[in-house]
Amino acid sequence: MNNSLSFSYQVAIVLVMVVIGAISGLYLPWYTLGILFALLAYILRIPTGRAFALGLVSGFLLWAVSAFWIDGQHPSSLPERMAHLFPLGGSVVGLYIVTGVLGGLTGGLWAWAGANLRLNK
Amino acid sequence: MKYIKSIFTLALAIIWTYALHNSWGTLPPLGKLMSPFHGFWVNAEAPESGELSEENLQIPGLEKTVTVVYDEMGIPHVFAENDHDLYVAQGYLTAKDRLWQMEFQTHFAGGRISEIVGEKGMVSDQFQRRMGAVYGAEKSFEGMKEDPKATETLQAYSDGVNAYIESLTERNYPLEYKLLNYAPEKWTPIKSALFLKNMSFVLASGTDDLKMTNILRKYGKAVAEDLFPNYPFVESPIIPVGTPKDFKPVPIPESPSDFIGLGSAMKTPEKDPNIGSNNWAVSGNKTVSGLPILANDPHLTLSLPSIWYQMQLVAPGVNVYGSTMPGTPNVIVGFNKNVAWGVTNVGSDILDWYQVKFKDASKAEYWHDGKWKKTTMRIEKFNIKGKASFVDTIFFTHHGPVVYLSHEKPFKSNIPVGHALRWIAHEKSQELTTFYKLNRAANYADYTQALTYYSAPAQNFIFASNEGDIALWVNGKFPLKSYTQGKYLLDGTDPKADWTGFIPQSHNPHAKNPVRGFLSSANQSSVDPTYPYYMGWQYAPSERGRRINERLEAMSKITMDSLRGLQNDNFNIRARTLLPLLLAKLRSPAGGVYGQAVNELQRWNLQNAADSKGATIFENWVLLLHEAIWADDFSADENVPMNSPSMDRTIKMIQDEPQSAWWDNVKTKNKKESMDEIISGSFKASIDTLVKKHGPFGSEWVWYKHKQTGVRHLIPGMDALSRLNIPTGGGGTIVNATTTKTGPSWRMIVELSKEGRPKAHGVYPGGQSGNPGSAHYDDLIDTWAKGELRSLLYLEKPEDATGRLRKKIILSIKK
Repeated sequence: MNNSLSFSYQVAIVLVMVVIGAISGLYLPWYTLGILFALLAYILRIPTGRAFALGLVSGFLLWAVSAFWIDGQHPSSLPERMAHLFPLGGSVVGLYIVTGVLGGLTGGLWAWAGANLRLNK
Repeated sequence: MKYIKSIFTLALAIIWTYALHNSWGTLPPLGKLMSPFHGFWVNAEAPESGELSEENLQIPGLEKTVTVVYDEMGIPHVFAENDHDLYVAQGYLTAKDRLWQMEFQTHFAGGRISEIVGEKGMVSDQFQRRMGAVYGAEKSFEGMKEDPKATETLQAYSDGVNAYIESLTERNYPLEYKLLNYAPEKWTPIKSALFLKNMSFVLASGTDDLKMTNILRKYGKAVAEDLFPNYPFVESPIIPVGTPKDFKPVPIPESPSDFIGLGSAMKTPEKDPNIGSNNWAVSGNKTVSGLPILANDPHLTLSLPSIWYQMQLVAPGVNVYGSTMPGTPNVIVGFNKNVAWGVTNVGSDILDWYQVKFKDASKAEYWHDGKWKKTTMRIEKFNIKGKASFVDTIFFTHHGPVVYLSHEKPFKSNIPVGHALRWIAHEKSQELTTFYKLNRAANYADYTQALTYYSAPAQNFIFASNEGDIALWVNGKFPLKSYTQGKYLLDGTDPKADWTGFIPQSHNPHAKNPVRGFLSSANQSSVDPTYPYYMGWQYAPSERGRRINERLEAMSKITMDSLRGLQNDNFNIRARTLLPLLLAKLRSPAGGVYGQAVNELQRWNLQNAADSKGATIFENWVLLLHEAIWADDFSADENVPMNSPSMDRTIKMIQDEPQSAWWDNVKTKNKKESMDEIISGSFKASIDTLVKKHGPFGSEWVWYKHKQTGVRHLIPGMDALSRLNIPTGGGGTIVNATTTKTGPSWRMIVELSKEGRPKAHGVYPGGQSGNPGSAHYDDLIDTWAKGELRSLLYLEKPEDATGRLRKKIILSIKK
């Protein structure tokens, strides 16, 4: 397998993952994000060396940006309260990052798993 | 090798996802909770734009269309075309704002918290059920069902709640379900009964019988009766002295034979003694408007979401506004075109314990009235999260449940083991009918008729009408007792110790239009000693009641605003008597922080204002003084819990018994302390603790920083969803009864009008929405803390010219 992918191809993969992740998020349970990323990695034959990173970036962007966007559309004290609960000292930016990291790790681990399943072919 | 790598990475992804999908101890399911598409982010609500928005919702079960308008505080005003739809809408709208709270509180009431939090909820759950919470709710549900109107109301309310639950998907569950990782279950009418029964737990489950028996055993009857008298030395009873009796008393039962119970138990926490309330009504001849004004502020544990939810309910035959309790239909405290009413708790003794003599270990029979009688058994099943379920058997004598068997450890120190519980909360009852009728009452006759259905928890129902009447009934079902029966543990084998009947409802203490022109209650003694029946020996301290009565006596040309001032009155009437007595005896170390503190007390204006340092010093001193006098005698052994004498009795001792043996600290051998030494020693100790807590005398000593009032989320320890350190004055014996965790949970003032257009103001320390992501979650707290009220919008139709409406929802029939 070829581990060198063009930059624009990688951007395209991220875009596809983000869009599919967003659509599944609106209608399906949260963890379908991972399952779909695994499928994408498998179908798109994403190299194992890149799959984790691409899934991570996609998951991070999707969750962090969505959280940021929701907070902008529905400004409330809730994110700050949650940032005290976790505890992040009330830092809402910190909360965007934690949200992004959770989405990113979920996306990354599953994309990696998906890419690795193809190894057996 | 390749297979291993595939399997390893897949397993890693699955484990990660599984970990984030479930809760671990107190850690919530992070994946579900943090997902911007499913988790808490979804619960954020944008504030209202200020413009009137419109929405259509379809809900099953409606007969006609219901129009709902929300004002700027998020209070729904509901316009329905019949009673049925009105209560469907009440259930639906209440659930829309408060579903989690409704379910959590009824789970708590029914002893089902361990289904949510696991094993750690088990002792509290078992206590609730052993006390007969579910048994009582079932009995009271039977009573409710005897009134077809109440049955219809309960069913409609329940249908409304369920319509809301069914409209939810996991992603729009209230936040707390996501934090605690569970799902709402279907609502049932009996949950409303459980909620109402729980009010008896909150307000009328206090019991000192065990502690009093422990005192009786240690010190004997003479001392017990001397230090714990059956009527306060200083009092201003609720029913004005001299109110004529309009009934012929029924005979009082014979006293039980003398009995000294076994007493004793273990130590654990107990109920907050600061729960109490104020209400009053002034008649037209004392007001500027010439019509009565009524005020009420029930004091409860301050919580988020608030215990109250404001609503206006309009249908043919009813247009009522006020505070509702999420979980039950109708308005509980409020007003309509013609009348206003409010409640405070009655501290009568409606809970007694009977020492049980079982025949053998099977507990199948117990000894009573010279023969062996059969016990009955009730099986309670507990479904514990993450554990096998547990089945518990409760034994009942004819008195009631044996809450703890002799070998069991009680959940609270004041609960005796090996005793059966006789409690008014186990009686069949019809409280719902009372509130249904009060919501529609037009005059005094309607009000008194509504009260005949009420049994528990007994309340001082204050009333005013636009016909000019003011009235107060101390109302509920009161056992007909011999004098002081049930002050101590009772003998379960003696039939003369049983409750044999109830005080006829029409003989309950009451007063209407007294000459003095006002009526009030603040949980103090209901009546003076000339009342023919014994109701209890211990009520809330008299201070709030005395202060309210002294102010209302002096006030004239009363307005809503002057009564608002009285609700926020911070005057420390106890300090007026006690402080000069203490300062006269005080031998304080000169200079330094002690000198500063004495100076501060001498300059203090006796107001427990938020920024008062004198209040901090006085309150802390009184606390330590009381402990210094009594702890050696009454808290020496934590396995034998006892009451301490009241402040009323303590002040009497300072005034009249300076040589009393009680002044001596029995723990110091070879030394006999004098009164002056105890007073001075406790002063020094209290200043030392303040320095330790707040540093040198200064701005950190102000009362609100010391008192630390907080409105806390119902989940213990959930500070991020609470409002803490609120700058408010007041105190437990102050009219503004705001303490660390309790306080005025709803302040309401209503001025009636001949034309049926009452003016009202009100506020509670919380907000309409139970959602921490809503601007209405805690938006009323600041107004409340400042002692201000909001004008309450009382509408005739779902329109308002003053521009206060923000949202209109049309609820239509879902086919």
